[in-house]
Amino acid sequence: MMKIRFSALILLLCLLAPCFAACSGSQQADVHVFYYNYSDTYISSVRSALDNELSAAGISYQDYDGAGSQTTQTEQIRTALTKGAKAILVNIVNTGSDDAAKEITALAKEANVPLVFFNREVSDTAIADYENSAYVGTRAEEAGILQGELIGEYLLANFSACDLNGDGEISYILFKGEEGNNEAIFRTKFSVEEANAVLSKDGKKPLRFYDKTNPNAYLVDKNGLWSATAANEYMTTALTAYNASGNNMIELVICNNDGMAEGAISALNAAGYNKGAGTPTIPVFGVDATDAAKNLIRNGQMAGTIKQDGEGMAKALLHLARNVIEGRELMADTNEFTIDDGSRKIRIHYEKYVG
Amino acid sequence: MKFKYIEKFKSMEKREKKAYLGELLISNSLYIFLIAAIALIAILNPRFLSWSSIINIISLSAANLPIALGIAGAIILTGTDLSAGRIVGLVACVSAALLQASGYASKMFPALKTPPVWLVFLLVIAIGALAGFINGYCTATFHLHPFIVTLSTQLIIYGALLLFLMIGNNNGQSISGLDPAFTNFIKGSVISFGGTPIPNYVWYVIGITAVMWVVWNKTPFGKNMFAVGSNPDAATVSGVNVRRVIILVFTLAGLLYGVTGFIEAARIGSNSAATGLNYELDAIAACVIGGVSFVGGTGKIGGVILGVVLLRLIFVGLTFLGIDANMQYVIKGLIILIACAIDMRKYLVKK
Repeated sequence: MMKIRFSALILLLCLLAPCFAACSGSQQADVHVFYYNYSDTYISSVRSALDNELSAAGISYQDYDGAGSQTTQTEQIRTALTKGAKAILVNIVNTGSDDAAKEITALAKEANVPLVFFNREVSDTAIADYENSAYVGTRAEEAGILQGELIGEYLLANFSACDLNGDGEISYILFKGEEGNNEAIFRTKFSVEEANAVLSKDGKKPLRFYDKTNPNAYLVDKNGLWSATAANEYMTTALTAYNASGNNMIELVICNNDGMAEGAISALNAAGYNKGAGTPTIPVFGVDATDAAKNLIRNGQMAGTIKQDGEGMAKALLHLARNVIEGRELMADTNEFTIDDGSRKIRIHYEKYVG
Repeated sequence: MKFKYIEKFKSMEKREKKAYLGELLISNSLYIFLIAAIALIAILNPRFLSWSSIINIISLSAANLPIALGIAGAIILTGTDLSAGRIVGLVACVSAALLQASGYASKMFPALKTPPVWLVFLLVIAIGALAGFINGYCTATFHLHPFIVTLSTQLIIYGALLLFLMIGNNNGQSISGLDPAFTNFIKGSVISFGGTPIPNYVWYVIGITAVMWVVWNKTPFGKNMFAVGSNPDAATVSGVNVRRVIILVFTLAGLLYGVTGFIEAARIGSNSAATGLNYELDAIAACVIGGVSFVGGTGKIGGVILGVVLLRLIFVGLTFLGIDANMQYVIKGLIILIACAIDMRKYLVKK
C-alpha cells in the first residue's frame, strides 16, 4: 500500500510541474492562433515565424493545436472567445466543406472579434458573411502550376539525359499528400498539365504515368499525412518492378510536398540513385522549400521545389493582428499586398526554387 | 507422425472425414489465402515474384517486425499498447537529431559533433525502454489496464516530441541530412541477391527476432509471461512475481520500439512529428492476424512474423495491382476481421 501511495505522490508532483510552467506563460493573450496540426512541418515554420513576429511586436498571443480535428479546433475557438480574445487567427482543419468555416465565422461575429483565416483556404462566401474577417493564404492552384512549369523547363533543358530508355517520353511517378484536400488535388492536377503544356510547345510527347494499370495516375498517402514514409514505401515498391534492368526505370518523381520528396529520395538512394552530384540522378520535385529540401537541392539530389513563403504569411498575419490591437480597421493599409478582387483575401505568392 | 494422421484419417467415418477436412481448411485458411493471393498477383503481374520484389517485401516486413514483437508481449498479457507508434516517432526524431551530418546547413544542434552510431543506438533504445518501463510500472502498480496507461503516455510522449522538434535551430521542421555513417549502417548493404542489395537492417531484425524467440520460449521470463497472460491469479499462486513480469514485458516492448525508431530514422531519412503515427495499429493487427490472441497467454513468434509479412504483402500486392486506395482499406479490414474470427474459433473449439 505504501508503495502505491508513494507512487501516487510522485505522479501528483509530475502533474503540478506543467501547471507552474503554464503560470509563467501569458494569462491574458490578445491574439489567439489556431493551428490545424502541430505535426505539419510547413505549418510549424509558419508558427515559428509568427511567434517571433508577434513577440517582436510586443503582442501577447496564445497558440493552439487542433491536432487534425475540426471538433477540437471549434471547441478551442469557443473557449478562446469566452476568455476574451481580441483577435483570432485560424488555420482551419476542415477544408472539404464550408460548414466549419461558417460556424467559426458565426462565433466570431457573435462575439464581435476580428477573424483571420490563413493557409488553408475558406470560400469567398464565408469571408463575405462577416465584415471583420479576412483570409491570408496562397492560391491553391499556383503551386501546381509553378511546379509544372518548373518540371517542363527542366525536362526541355535536359531531355535526353532524363529519357533514360530513349523512347521519347518521360515516365513519371506522382505522390499525392491526401485525398479530398484542395491543395493536394490542384498540385496533382496542375503539375502534370502544366509540364505537358510546356513539353508540347516544344513538340515533345506528354508525360506518361509509370504504371499504366493505375487509373488514378497518382499514389496517395492513405493516412492523409503527406508523409515521407508513404512516399518511401511506394517508391521502394515501385522500383522493384520499374528499374534500369527492366529498361523501364521511372524517369521523373513529382511530389505534393517536400516531405514526400525526401522519402522518395531516400528510396532512390537505396537503389543507388540520387546520392549527390556525379551519381545517376532521377529529377525529384517537391513543394514548400523546407530547409531539408533546400539542402538536397544544393547537393544535387533533388531538382527543384516551390517555395511557400511562411515568413511572408507570418508578416501579413502580423499586419492584420496589429491593425486590430492598435484599433484600426482589420484591412487598413494593405495596399502592399496582393488582394483578390471583391474579397478580403490576401494572397502570398509561391516562388520557384532551384537553389 | 504424418502417417499417424493419415491412419487416423482413414479410420474415420465418412461424415467425420468431411468435418475434419473442413476444420483443416478453416484452421489453415490464412496460409491458403496467402498462397492464393501470391499466385493471383503473380499471374496478373509476374514481376511480383522477381528477386527485387521479394527482397522489398522482406525489407518492408523487417522494418515493421520489432514493434510488432514488442506489442505482442503486451497482448499476451491481455493488454495492448497505444503508445508504441509515438515512442517510435520520438526515438526516430532523437536519433536523427543526434546523427545529422556535421556541416549540414540546417543542423538542429550546430555545435554538436556527430557522436558514434552505437552510442546513439544505446541512448535511444534506453529512451524507448524507459518509456516502456513507465507503461509497465503504471500498469502493474496502479492496477490499470494498459489501454488506459498507454492512452495517457502516448499523449505525453507526443507532447514531448513536439517540444523536442521546436528546440535548437529546428522550429518544428522535419529532421534530415543524416550522417552517412548512420544511413550506411542501416540502409547500406553487404549482401546482394539476384542483383538486389539486402539492406543491413534486415540482418539486425533477424538477429533480434532470434533473440526474442529464445526469450519467449527458453527463458523463465518467457514462461512467466505466458503464465501471467493466461491466468494472473494462478501465476501469483505458483510464485510468479506478476508485477515484475508486467514491468519487464513493457520495458522490453519499449526497447523494441526504440529499435524500430532507430531503423525508421535512417530508412525514411526525414523525421517529423508524424513519424510513427498509427504504427501501433498495424503492429496490433499483425499480431492478431498471426494468432497472438487478445484472450491472453497465447502467441508465437512465427505467428507475429506471418502477420507482419501478410500485411506488407497486402500493401505491396495491392500497389502492384494498382487497386484504388479506398478499396485497400476495405480489403485490409476484412482480412483482419476474418483472421481474428478464425483464431477465436480455434480457441473456442479447444475449450
